[in-house]
Amino acid sequence: MLPDLGYVLLTAALAVSLYGVVVPHLGVVRNNWNLVRSAQFATIVNFVLVAGASAVLMHAFLADDFSVRFVWEHSSSDLPLFYKISAFWGGMEGSLLFWDFVLAAFSAVVAYGYQRNNREVIPYVIATLNVVHVFLLSLLVTYSNPLATQSPVPVEGRGLNPLLQHPAMAMHPPMLYLGYIAFSVPFAFAIASLIRGKLDNAWVVSTRRWTLAAWFALTVGLMLGGQWAYEELGWGGYWGWDPVENAALMPWLTGTAFLHSVLLQEKRNMMKVWNMVLIIVTFGLSIMGTFIVRSGVLNSVHAFAQSNVGPAFLVFLAFAMLVAFTLMFKRIRLLESRHTADSLVSRESAFLLNNLLLIGICFTVFLGTVFPLLAEAIGGTKLSIQAPFFNTIVGPLGIGLLFLIGIGTLIAWRHSTWDYLVRNFRVPVILGLLTSGVLFALGIHHPGALIVFGGAVFTGYILGSDFYKAVRARASQMEIGFAEAIVGTVRRNQQRWGGMLIHFGVVFLIVGVSGNWFHQEYNLTLTENRPVTVGSYKLLFKGQRTEKKLNATLHEAVIEVYRDGELVDTLKPARSFYPTQPEPLTEVAIHRTVREDLYLVLASENQGGTVTIRALINPLVMVAWFAFPLFTLGTAIAIFYKPRRLEEPVTEDRLGYI
Amino acid sequence: MLKSWKFWAVVAVIGGLTAMFASGFGHDPKLVPSPLVHRPAPGFKVTELNTGAPLSLESLKGTPFVLNFFASWCVACRDEARLLESAYLRWGQDPSKLRVIGIAIQDTPEAARAFAKRYGKTYYLALDDAAGDVSLNYGLYGVPETFFVDAKGIIRYKQIGAVTPEVLEEQIPKLIASREQP
Repeated sequence: MLPDLGYVLLTAALAVSLYGVVVPHLGVVRNNWNLVRSAQFATIVNFVLVAGASAVLMHAFLADDFSVRFVWEHSSSDLPLFYKISAFWGGMEGSLLFWDFVLAAFSAVVAYGYQRNNREVIPYVIATLNVVHVFLLSLLVTYSNPLATQSPVPVEGRGLNPLLQHPAMAMHPPMLYLGYIAFSVPFAFAIASLIRGKLDNAWVVSTRRWTLAAWFALTVGLMLGGQWAYEELGWGGYWGWDPVENAALMPWLTGTAFLHSVLLQEKRNMMKVWNMVLIIVTFGLSIMGTFIVRSGVLNSVHAFAQSNVGPAFLVFLAFAMLVAFTLMFKRIRLLESRHTADSLVSRESAFLLNNLLLIGICFTVFLGTVFPLLAEAIGGTKLSIQAPFFNTIVGPLGIGLLFLIGIGTLIAWRHSTWDYLVRNFRVPVILGLLTSGVLFALGIHHPGALIVFGGAVFTGYILGSDFYKAVRARASQMEIGFAEAIVGTVRRNQQRWGGMLIHFGVVFLIVGVSGNWFHQEYNLTLTENRPVTVGSYKLLFKGQRTEKKLNATLHEAVIEVYRDGELVDTLKPARSFYPTQPEPLTEVAIHRTVREDLYLVLASENQGGTVTIRALINPLVMVAWFAFPLFTLGTAIAIFYKPRRLEEPVTEDRLGYI
Repeated sequence: MLKSWKFWAVVAVIGGLTAMFASGFGHDPKLVPSPLVHRPAPGFKVTELNTGAPLSLESLKGTPFVLNFFASWCVACRDEARLLESAYLRWGQDPSKLRVIGIAIQDTPEAARAFAKRYGKTYYLALDDAAGDVSLNYGLYGVPETFFVDAKGIIRYKQIGAVTPEVLEEQIPKLIASREQP
C-alpha cells in the first residue's frame, strides 16, 4: 500500500519536473514573470514529492517491509538500526532516489533563495536543474524503481553486504553524492548564463559557496572512502587507484581547479572560457563517476554496486556534454577576455600552473582508468593499469602542488620583481633546505621524502608567517590584543584565511601520503605466549577468542603490543562471520600513533592453536587524517564569507529575449 | 561555430569517449582469458567423497574430462548442478570416452555430500584439501569454474560461472573427438 503511494509520488514528481523544464522557458519567451514564479514553486513542490517517496522507502527499511524488493535485497531484520538507515543508499535504486532527493533539496533552495537576484538567468537555472530531475525520475519510475514490490513476501531479507557495514561507509556515499550534486548548481548557472548570453562574472560569484560546499563534500567523501578501505578491506592502504576511486577523484580534481581559477575571473576578469570548460567537465565527470560505478564496464572492488542503468547514464552524459559545449561555442565571443597574465612571475601564473597540474593529474587518472577499456575496444587485449603508473606520474605533480601552494600565497598579483622574490622567499627556502639537510643527516635518504618534508616546511612556513604578519599588523594598527586580532583578521577576509587552513590541510595530507614510502610489511605465524618483533614493537599472542558483535560472530586473535618493554595496546584482529555470508571477512586491528600505524590482519587460524597474521607498519597515516579537521574548519570559515552583493534592481517588466 | 575546428574537436572527443564506454557493455571486465587454456592441465590427486576411490591426472591419460569446481555454499553452483549431471548421463557413461569430475573447494565432506545428494549427482565427486592445492594450481578465481580437458591432457576451454547447455553441447563433442585424432 505505502510503496504504491511512494511510486505515485515519484510519478507526480516526474510530471512536476517536466513542468519545471518547459514553463520557465515559456515565461521568458512570453515575458511573463508569473510563469517563472510558478516554475520556482513547482521546484519546491517537487522536493516535497520526492521527500515523500524517500520517506516511504525509509519507512520500509525501518519496518522491515520485505514486500519492497529493494529492502529485501539490501536489509534484514537483524541489521542494526544505523545500517538499516544507510542501506537506503546501499544499492542502485536507493542511491538514485537519494540522489534525486538531494538534488530536489538543492533545487528548492535555489528556487527559494534566488527569487530576487539573478533574475535574468534564474529561469534557465531552474530549467537545467529540472532536466536532471527528469532524467533521474524517469529512471526511478521505470527500470530502477526502488519501491517495486514483490509477492509472496519473503520472511527475511538478504542482508546488507557486510563490507558496507562500517560507519565510514554509511557516510561516504552520501557525502560523495552531496558533492556531485552540489556541483550541478554552478553548472546550471553556467548553462543558464550561456543560454541568456549574460556572461559577466555573476554566475561565478553567485555560486561560489555552492562550489565550496561541493568541494568540501567531495573531499570528505573521498577521505571517508579511504578510511573505509583502510579499516574494512584489510589490504593495508587507503587508496588503491581503483577505477571507482578514480571516478570520484576526477571531479574533485577539476572542481579544485575550478575553485581556484574562478578567483582569477572574479579578481582579474581572466579565464572565462576556461572556467566554463571546467564546470562543464566537472559536471560531466560527476555523471561519469556514477556511470563507472554502476555500469560495470571496468573491473573494480566496487562490483557490489553494479546495475543495468549504465546505458541510460551514458546517453545522458553524452547529451549533457554535447548541449553544454554547443552552447559554449555559440557564446564563445562573449567569453573571450582581453585580459591575460601581465607577467610570467605573478600570482596569476601560479594559479595557471596550479590548474595545469590539477588537470594534468586528472588527465593521468582518466587515462589510467579508461585505458583498459580503450585497449580492449581497439586492440582487443585485456590489460590492467596498476598503482605504479599512477604513482609515478601523480606523485611528482602532487609535490609540485605542494610547492605551488607556498609560492602562490606569497607571490604578488600582476608582477613580482626579482628583489621582491629574493626578499620574501629567502627565509622559507632556507628553512626548507635546512629541514631536508637535517633529515638527511638523521638517516632519511629517500629523495622523494626529503623533497616532500622540505617542501612541507617551506609551504607551512609561508602559510603561517603570512597569517602571523596580518595578525600582527592588525594588532598594532588597532591597538588590540593578539587573540582579538586573530578573530578580526579572519573575519575581515574569511575566504582567504579559510583557504589558508585548507592549504595547511593539503600540506598535512601530502606529508601523510608520503609516509607510504616507508611502509613495511611482515607475514608472521604466532604461537601463544611467544613474543615476535615487528619494527619497534613486540607482539605477544595471548590466544584466540570468539565474540558476538551486533549481527556478526568474530574469531579474534588477542595480541598484546609492547613498545620499549611497556604494554601499549591490546589488538584483536579477527575474522568475522555473518549469518548471510558464506565466507568470513577480515576485521583489521590498528594501533595508531602520530608517527605510524601498526596494522594487523588475521590471515588464518591454524591447526595447533597458532595464527598467521600480516603486520604492516604504515608511517604518518594519522598525519594525513589530520587534514580532515583543517578542511572542515577552513571550509566553515570560508563559506560564510559574503560575496560582493549582486544587487539588481527588481525589474518586473523586462526579462529580455533569448 | 560550425566552422570552428575546436568545436568539432570537442564533438569528436565526446563521440569517441561515448563509443569507447559503449564498447564496454556486454563485456565482463573480470573475464580475463585463463593463461591455462591450450596448456597441459595441472596435476591433481583426489579421493572420491563416498567411496574413497583415488583419482589422479596420470590415471586419466588418454581420456578427455570435464573438471568442475564447486562448493555447497555457492549459489551459481546450484544452477548448473543438474546440467552437469545430465551431461554425465548423456556422454559420460563410458569412462574411457569421457569423465565428469566435480571437486568441491573450501567445503566440508558432509556439506558436499548433502549437496550432491540434493541434486542427485552420480558422477565422480571429490574434495579439495584444506590448503586448496588443486584450486590454486588451476588458478581459480571463484566457484563455479569448469575446465574442459582433451584426450592429450590439454585444457581446451574454461568456463567461469555456471555452465550453460550451449557450452556443454559445443565443448564435450570436441573433447570426445579429440580421442581419435593422432
